[in-house]
Amino acid sequence: MSAAALKQLDAAAAEILAQYDQKRAATLPLLRLAQDTLGYVSPAVEQWVAQQVGVAPAHIHEVVTFYTLYHQQPVGKYHIQVCHNIACALRGGDAYLASIGERLGLKPGQTTADGKYTLSAVECLCACEQAPMMQVNDSYVGPITPAVIDTLLQSPEQLTELPLLYRGTVGLQAAVLSARFNVRDAEKIETYVRDNGYQAARKALTEMSPAQVIDEVTKSNLRGLGGAGFPTGKKWSFIPKDSSKPKYLVVNADEGEPGTIKDRYLLTKDPHRLIEGIIIAAYATGVRKAYIYIRGEYAYPAKVLQQAVDEAKKYGFLGSRIFNTDHTLEIVVHRGAGAYICGEETALLTSLEGGKGFPRLKPPFPALAGLFACPTVVNNVETLACVPSIIQRGAEWFAKLGVPKAGGTRLFSLSGHVQKPGLYEASQGVTLRQLIDAAGGVAPGRQVKAVIPGGISAKILRADELDVKMDFDSLIAAGTMAGSAGIVVMDDTTCMVRALWYAGKFFGHESCGQCSPCREGTGWMFKVIDRILRGEGREQDLDTVLSIAGNMEGRTICVFADAAAWPAQSYIAKFRDEFVYHIKEKRCNVGAQPAVAAH
Amino acid sequence: MMADASKQVNLTIDGKPVAVPEGTTVLQACEQAGSPVPFYCYHPGLSIAGNCRICLVEIAGTPKLQISCYTRAAEGMVVSTTSDKSLKGRKDVLEFLLANHPLDCPVCDQAGECWLQDYYMQHGLYDPKFNETKVKKPKAVPIGPTVMLDAERCILCSRCVRFTDEVSKTGELGIFNRGDHAEVGVYPGVELKNNYAGNVVDICPVGALTDRDFRFKCRVWYLGSTPSVCNGCSRGCNIDIHYNREQKDRPHIAGGARIMRLKPRFNADVNQWWMCDIGRYGYKRLDTHRLLLTEKRQNGTRHPVPWGEALDAVGAQLQKLREAKQLDQVGVILSSHLTNEDLFAAKRFFHALGVTQVVFQRPKSGAADTLLLEADRSPNARGAQALGLAEGAEELLQRAKQQQLKTLIIFTQDLTELFGQARVAEALKPVEMVIFIGPNTHPTAQLADIVLPSCAYAEKDGTFTNSQGRVQRLHAAVLPAGESRPEWMIFSALGTKLNIEALPGDAPALFTALAKAEPAFAGLSYAAVGDQGAWLANAH
Repeated sequence: MSAAALKQLDAAAAEILAQYDQKRAATLPLLRLAQDTLGYVSPAVEQWVAQQVGVAPAHIHEVVTFYTLYHQQPVGKYHIQVCHNIACALRGGDAYLASIGERLGLKPGQTTADGKYTLSAVECLCACEQAPMMQVNDSYVGPITPAVIDTLLQSPEQLTELPLLYRGTVGLQAAVLSARFNVRDAEKIETYVRDNGYQAARKALTEMSPAQVIDEVTKSNLRGLGGAGFPTGKKWSFIPKDSSKPKYLVVNADEGEPGTIKDRYLLTKDPHRLIEGIIIAAYATGVRKAYIYIRGEYAYPAKVLQQAVDEAKKYGFLGSRIFNTDHTLEIVVHRGAGAYICGEETALLTSLEGGKGFPRLKPPFPALAGLFACPTVVNNVETLACVPSIIQRGAEWFAKLGVPKAGGTRLFSLSGHVQKPGLYEASQGVTLRQLIDAAGGVAPGRQVKAVIPGGISAKILRADELDVKMDFDSLIAAGTMAGSAGIVVMDDTTCMVRALWYAGKFFGHESCGQCSPCREGTGWMFKVIDRILRGEGREQDLDTVLSIAGNMEGRTICVFADAAAWPAQSYIAKFRDEFVYHIKEKRCNVGAQPAVAAH
Repeated sequence: MMADASKQVNLTIDGKPVAVPEGTTVLQACEQAGSPVPFYCYHPGLSIAGNCRICLVEIAGTPKLQISCYTRAAEGMVVSTTSDKSLKGRKDVLEFLLANHPLDCPVCDQAGECWLQDYYMQHGLYDPKFNETKVKKPKAVPIGPTVMLDAERCILCSRCVRFTDEVSKTGELGIFNRGDHAEVGVYPGVELKNNYAGNVVDICPVGALTDRDFRFKCRVWYLGSTPSVCNGCSRGCNIDIHYNREQKDRPHIAGGARIMRLKPRFNADVNQWWMCDIGRYGYKRLDTHRLLLTEKRQNGTRHPVPWGEALDAVGAQLQKLREAKQLDQVGVILSSHLTNEDLFAAKRFFHALGVTQVVFQRPKSGAADTLLLEADRSPNARGAQALGLAEGAEELLQRAKQQQLKTLIIFTQDLTELFGQARVAEALKPVEMVIFIGPNTHPTAQLADIVLPSCAYAEKDGTFTNSQGRVQRLHAAVLPAGESRPEWMIFSALGTKLNIEALPGDAPALFTALAKAEPAFAGLSYAAVGDQGAWLANAH
């Protein structure tokens, strides 16, 4: 890779650098630019980026080795990345991974001799409703079938981006967040404006004071829908009104919680709703610049979103003097590079600043010292997407859609052993059973065995716990959490040891490695579970797993270690017999379900 | 982290009330309260990383254990470092830190000064549960001329990375990959090669970074340690001299070497926690080309002679010139490597004798940097100045060349480095007797007619005055090599021969006399100088 080739990127690099208030923040996009152009990240690329952003090459190399999407060696013309996480595995993903590998003569991580295909097994791509699925270069492809594999191997250029599976509402009079998901060309600004789009933003900016906007959002009982459930109005109110430093809004579009698909729908089907929410939030908090951090794998959603941002700018909804007010707003779409931890809000900020996705010590909280050490509000995509409706139809209306302490509706992702996997919208107060029923339940003749209610981190529920309401507080009371509302259903063919194996593998792979308990604990825990699954379990292993889980919980900078501990604790607590059977009998006592129980 | 240090906060640590300035961390407060908490990633000279998690303490009213390195002491806070919960927390963390650690203590050079070993004594599990294959990482990788990396032993505290980012600002190191595959290393193709590289070994709490110079030379439990001051430049970094204290029983260690390594010693006003590699490895000069015996030139060649004979010769020469009223033909070139005490003894002696051409000479200067290293590569020029000594040997060499000197006494310095071999040789040629007093031989020493071996700084008690005007104490770490003696002892012996008023008989007595006689040192004493130094009267 010649210096001349990199020199040619200087102009494009300058454009990227101009989008960021600190040069180092351009690290990830510059690496992507060079990789997209030159095929991989060579030492020359690292040094070029180091020079562009003004840091030591060692720190660029840290970044390159931290994220999964950078290649230090050339990859094949078609990079096949098969999901190797729980939702896809429940629907036979591992068998397809093996089958593709067999037909290409590749193990994950290898490239065919002709340089055409590279095969990788990757963690959850958040298209669980289309399981089993894979990513081929930038495209999401699924569900994988023998016919799809034929196309992949014979005419891969014909593979198309997988369709969305929006299934409608459950128990609602009308859809709110998903109201436009069935609208043709919903992502285009013309249709959005036609459907009264940007009227809420106009109302907020021209008729309301920032304090009134915050007040309205507070009264709506909107809570953070990324998973933490923190009251949004309260979060906005923490942003200092008078700040000598610039203030930022950072949108968390780093969807990564296994079992969760919702933000991808909002980003691709109704991006202007998000942009409108951003305009209102920025106005309420006095922000003039917003960054949308979108997960690196979401190439198509990022493209749609960027188009929407460009359109909004063209229409004057972004830029200076929005609605003829003094309000100014610029939005930068920033793509991640493959690291689950960047969904944690402070890791997201560190990553956005161009570093490894290391969560930060708190305090200070982002509201006082976030992006570039400036006051920053970090909101999830879905949270912000609620805001236009709140402003338009009022806090009271929104609050009533939900439960007393959590207003509005949510987008529920259903995957695993349900007959109609996909995205559903329902009130916060919907029950888990209602959602599973709406998704067609499990296959005839099968029983629900276990359900992950809020993404892989959430403690698992048993079939006798399905009547729980899905709002934050009800699920906490049930000993688990609402999380990202990613529901993964497992029927009675599922081996719980294997199910935990996927969780353990995931957390071991995604630990940032910063804090010793998590760095060592996640890998250790996975090794023990793996040994049990392989029939090499020992009597004391369950105690060891529980001790590792308990010893990392609450001992680290962020809650990733806790999230890694919860599945282990709950799977073992609720299905202990199954684990004990594995250890004693060196085999599984669950009926055969391809790839999940077949071991 | 701005805080008003003048405001005090009151808290309780393990039942003891403590008052600390606002902004103090709980870890620092615990230390102050006599309840020290273990730590790895915390280092007072670096930013807070909070990643090792071993410094967990229990704070009343807070459900989770808190890392004391990051938590600020607050009014009314009740901290327990010894509760079951906090002890268990630290034990658990140590178990994690050792999970993938190779436990290769028997072949690890850090053994004996390893913080994993140290904390295991109190916080060890003693019944390990880890039964899996450990993560393999590179071992014994030279990452630069002076530092060896063992990535398996590394606990990823990031101290070294923060050092190269924040202190040396050289950025060679990083932590690559993630999860339990994270490993510290240099950027591929880059060497850890900066003048402060050795400090990463000092701050590495485990055996991940070891000193290639020191590695396997000596088990650390055979080391003795004496506080001293680096003589490599005029900064005067505070150091500890680590020497083989088992010289008698284990003379084979490191081939009989006496001094094993130098380590920086904290001094807030001088070097903080650091020292440069030029200073660190400067100890090697100490026993290189060492002068061990007195020598005298006879019929063109120099031969070892007993001290008495050499001193007689010098005494006779000076007496001859005194009687002939030719002391104006004596030149003395002192060195800024000498201690304040030696310089003071020299000043007194030559003044009493009536020799007036007494100057001091610095060694050849080098490049300075912005951290510690100064251009003046000698430790005590400021001390010589404070004693009112004139600087510069050039004029005396000129006079020597013009046959105006019958005797020239040169201390320590190799003048050929400064003025060139030919010029020095030409200047010294007409001089009747050239006397060299110093620890090491070099081209200048070789031109002398009489050689009196003197002690190196590691063999001396005394003080240096650094460029800031700070008087700092050095202690003898090892015995004088061969027959070498401190300079003041040589003056004392010559004084007896020449009927000069007796000089005080040891370094402390000399310093007392010095402080009394020299206004710049007024009010100073060894007690005042202590182990952190004290300012000259006119330092600022």
